[in-house]
Amino acid sequence: MVDQLPNRGLETEMLEEMGFSSIDDLFSDLPEHVRMSEPLPLPPPQSEEEIIADARRLLGANLAMGEAVSFLGAGIYRNYVPASVFQLITRGEFLTSYTPYQPEVSQGMLQAMWEFQTLISELVGLPIANLSLYDGSTAAAEALTCAVRVHTRKASQSDTVYISELVPPDRMSVMHNYCQGAGITLKLLKHNADGTLDIDSVHSAAGSCGVYVEQPNPLGILDGGLTQIKEIIGKNTALIVGVQPVSLGLVEAPGNYGADIIVGEGQPFGSPPTGGGPIYGIFACSKPYLRLMPGRIVGRSIDVDGKEAYCLTLSTREQHIRRHRATSNICTNETLIALMGAMHMSLLGPEGLEHLAYRNMTACVLAKQKLSEISGVSVPHISSSHFNEFVIELPRSAADCLKYLDSVGIIGGFDLNRWYNGRTNWLLVSVTDQTKAAEIDLLAAQLAEWCSMKEVVA
Amino acid sequence: MSRLFDFAGGTGMGYSQPEPLLSKNKVALPPNLMRKELPRWPRLSEPEMVRHYTWLSRRNFGIDTGFYPLGSCTMKHNPRVNEVIAQLPGIADIHPHQPEHHLQGLLSIYHEMQHMLAICSGMDDVTLQPVAGAQGEFTAVRCVQEYFRKRGETQRTKVIVPDSAHGTNPASAAMAGYDIVEIPSLENGRIDLEALKAVIDDTVALMMITNPNTLGLFETDVPEASDIVHAAGGQMYYDGANFNAILGRTSPGLMGFDAVHFNLHKTFSQPHGGGGPGSGPIGVKSHLAEFLPSPVVKTRPIVGDEAKFAVDDMWYTWYEPEHTIGKVQQWHGNAGAIIRCWAYYRRYGYGLKDMSEHAVLNANYLRHALHREAKKAGVSHMFVDGAEAEVAKHEFTLSLQPAKEAVGVSAMDVAKGLLDMGYMAPTVYFPLVVPECMMFEPTETESRDTLDTFAKDFAQVLKVDAQTLHEAPITTPVRRVDEVYAARNLCLKHPFDEE
Repeated sequence: MVDQLPNRGLETEMLEEMGFSSIDDLFSDLPEHVRMSEPLPLPPPQSEEEIIADARRLLGANLAMGEAVSFLGAGIYRNYVPASVFQLITRGEFLTSYTPYQPEVSQGMLQAMWEFQTLISELVGLPIANLSLYDGSTAAAEALTCAVRVHTRKASQSDTVYISELVPPDRMSVMHNYCQGAGITLKLLKHNADGTLDIDSVHSAAGSCGVYVEQPNPLGILDGGLTQIKEIIGKNTALIVGVQPVSLGLVEAPGNYGADIIVGEGQPFGSPPTGGGPIYGIFACSKPYLRLMPGRIVGRSIDVDGKEAYCLTLSTREQHIRRHRATSNICTNETLIALMGAMHMSLLGPEGLEHLAYRNMTACVLAKQKLSEISGVSVPHISSSHFNEFVIELPRSAADCLKYLDSVGIIGGFDLNRWYNGRTNWLLVSVTDQTKAAEIDLLAAQLAEWCSMKEVVA
Repeated sequence: MSRLFDFAGGTGMGYSQPEPLLSKNKVALPPNLMRKELPRWPRLSEPEMVRHYTWLSRRNFGIDTGFYPLGSCTMKHNPRVNEVIAQLPGIADIHPHQPEHHLQGLLSIYHEMQHMLAICSGMDDVTLQPVAGAQGEFTAVRCVQEYFRKRGETQRTKVIVPDSAHGTNPASAAMAGYDIVEIPSLENGRIDLEALKAVIDDTVALMMITNPNTLGLFETDVPEASDIVHAAGGQMYYDGANFNAILGRTSPGLMGFDAVHFNLHKTFSQPHGGGGPGSGPIGVKSHLAEFLPSPVVKTRPIVGDEAKFAVDDMWYTWYEPEHTIGKVQQWHGNAGAIIRCWAYYRRYGYGLKDMSEHAVLNANYLRHALHREAKKAGVSHMFVDGAEAEVAKHEFTLSLQPAKEAVGVSAMDVAKGLLDMGYMAPTVYFPLVVPECMMFEPTETESRDTLDTFAKDFAQVLKVDAQTLHEAPITTPVRRVDEVYAARNLCLKHPFDEE
C-alpha cells in the first residue's frame, strides 16, 4: 500500500469540498479511448526498509573499485572526496533547491556558483567559466559548436573544426551528434609514433573554426608541442583544450599558452566516479566567446539597496528566452556536483592542489618504471611525461590480460583495442592519488606472471 | 558576508593528504609545461570551509525550507533514503568501463527502470543515456532524424512546436538541424488543429507536444493531432515534463506518440540541486528502437560460470542498437540519479497511479483553496483562472491581470510578497499566453494543511497595499536584485586586486 502520501485517507473530504465525488472526476477530461483500463503491471509498493535492503543486495553485487585493486581510468578517475563535502552537500537548502530563478532566496547557490566560476577560471587561466555542463564530452562538443558560431564567417574553412585523432570514439560520437545539425565537419589531426601531436598536421587547420586537443592526451601524454598550436592557427581559429583538472596543479594552464576555450571532466574534484554520472563538465573561455557560449552564468550585482547580490546573467543566450536561436538547449545542468567540486577545491587551496597533482604524477612515474621492467612488457611512449595513465604493450592481447588480472582481483586498465582498432596488445594503465605502491607492485608481479605463461588463460 | 576569496590563511590545507609515492623531484615535465604560478585559490581550514558553505546554505531556499509550488518543475519531496542508497560503494565507487560481470546489480536496476518506463509510457524500448530533459529531447529528435534518413525521407526538414512549448523543445530540434515551425495556441493554450493542418506536409519530420500542456490542461485534441501528423508521414514527440499528472491513467503510447522523454528528476524525485543533476531517459516505439543511443540493457540466459556474478536468473548485458545514433553523453547516463529514481519508483510500484492521482488531487484542491480563501479575505477580484477548465491536472495557472489593472500589482510583486511569507514563489510569466501568469504545482507530497495555509497566506499577500508589494521582498537575504546592472557591469568572477 502506498501509505506515505500525506493526503492518504483525506481524498474523499478534499474531493467533496471541491464538489467532486471521486478521483475519476479529476480525470474526466481524458478521452475514453486514451484511458488506461488495467492497473499498471508493476510490482507492489515497498517500504523504505525493503527498498534499502534490495539496494544493498543489488548494488552490493557490483564490484566497487575500492574492493579490488583498480588501474581503470580512461576519463573517469578514482579520487578522494573529503568527508566534509559529503556532509555539507546533504544540506537541504542546496540539495532540494531549483535553478535560482528567484535570486532573493537563492543567494547561497548563486554566490557558490560565482565562486566556482572563479575557481575554474583561475585553474585554467581564462577569464570566464560557466557553472557546468553535463560532462567533459558534452563540454567538448559544445565548445566545437561555440567555436564555429564565433569564427565561421571569417573562416576560409567555414563550418570545419579539427580534432585530435586520439579522441576516444565515445567522446567523438557525442561531438558528432552535437555538430551534425549545424553542418559542421570534423577533421582529424594526426599524432606521431611517440604519441605527441603531429604539429605539421596543425597547419592544415589554419583557417578553420577550431582545433580540439587534450592535455594530457587520451594516452596520458603531456605534450609540450601543444603550446605551439595557437601561433600556427592564429586568432581566427579557436584553440580548444580538454584537460584533466587535477593536472593543472603542476602543468601550465592552457589559458597561458593561447587556449581560447578549455573544457574537461570536472569529476576528479568533488565527485566520486559514480558509474560515469552525475559528474560535471568544465567550460571556460576568453571574452570573444562570452556571448555565444553555452550554459548558465552567474554575475555579481547589487540589490535595490545597493547591497552585494548575485543573479543569473546573459540569459538571452539561453533556450528559455532565445528558444530555437539559443546557443544550446541545456537547461538542467550539474550544479550540485559543481558545488561539490567547489567545496573540494576550496579545501585544497593552491598548495593542496599542487600536492594532489604531485601524488598523481609520482604514482604514474613509479608505475611506469615498475611496469617497464617486466620482461615482455614495453612502454611505447616511455620518453614522454605522463599524467594519470600510460600505454603498455603486451606480448599478447590486452583483453586476455585483463581477464587474467580480473581472476586475481585486479581491474587492470582499459583495453585500447576498444578505441583504436588493431591495438589489440595495448593496455591503458591508470594510476591516481588513490594508487598505493603495494598495488603497483602487485600489478607488476601479476603482469610478469601472465607474461611468463605460455597459454592464454581464459 | 562570507566570501570565499577573502580566506587567505596559511599554506596548510583544509584536509591532510598522504605523501606522494616518490619524492617530488622524480617528476619530469617538458619545461614549457611547468606551471609558473598556482591558481589564486583561497586558503581555508576545514572549519572555515564548513562555516562558509553553511552560511551560504542559509541564504538558499529548498523544498526542505518550505513549500515550493514552482509550476512546471515538480518540486516534490526528495526522500532521504535515496541519498543513502546513492552513496553506497556499489554505485559511488564503480567505473563505467568495468566489465559486465562487475556491474550486474547496476545493469539489473537499469533494466528494471527501462521496463517500468516503457510500461508507464506505452513505449516499446527505453534508453537511460540522456542526462537531462533537454538532452532527452535532443536524443529523440536525433533518433527520428536518423530514422528518416535511413528511409530516404530527407525532405523532412521541419519540426512543429506550439508557441506554448518549453523553450528547450525548439532549441533541441534546432540543435539537430531542423527548421522550427511555431504554431499559435488557442486562447486556453490548447493545440490549434486548424493551425496544424495549415502547416503539415511531407516536409515535417516531427511535432513536439507536452500533455498536459504548459497550462496544466489535458489536451484532448492530441490524438487527433497525432492522426494529422502521422497521415503526413511525420512523427509525434511527447515532452514528458508533465508526466507526473498521468501515470496509470493514460500514456503517451495511448495518445499516439512515437517518442517520449522523461524528466526522472521531476517525476521520480532526483533532488534538483540548484540546477542539476537530472536524468532524461527516452522511450520510443519499436520502429525507432534500433536508433537509440547505446547502451541499452537487455537480458540473455546465463552462460558458464557467470552464475556466480548474477543477481537474477538471467544475465544483464549492454546492447548497442543496430543503427544507433551513438552517444549523447560519454558514459552510461547519470547512473547515480537513476539509482535514486529507482528507489523512488520502488516506493510506489503499481501505486504510481496513486502518486499521479494525488498530484492532480492536490493541484485541484490548491486551486479551489486559493479561490476559497481569496473570497473569504475579500480579494477574489484580484485574479482569475489562467484557463477556463473544470479540472486541472498536476498544475494550474492564475492570471493576476485583474490585480494589475485594479491596483497596479503584478504577478512578480505577488511572487516577491510570497517570498516574504516564507514560500518559494510559483513560476511567473510562463506560459506567455496567460497575462500576468502565476503557475502553481504543489505535487503529491504536500499535505492538505500545507495547501490550506498557503492559500490563506496567498490571500493575505493580495491584501497588502501595492507600494509595500512593489518593495517586497524585505525579509530575504537580499532584496530585488538588479539584473540589468549585472548584465551591464559584467562581473563573472572574483576581481582580485589588479582588475
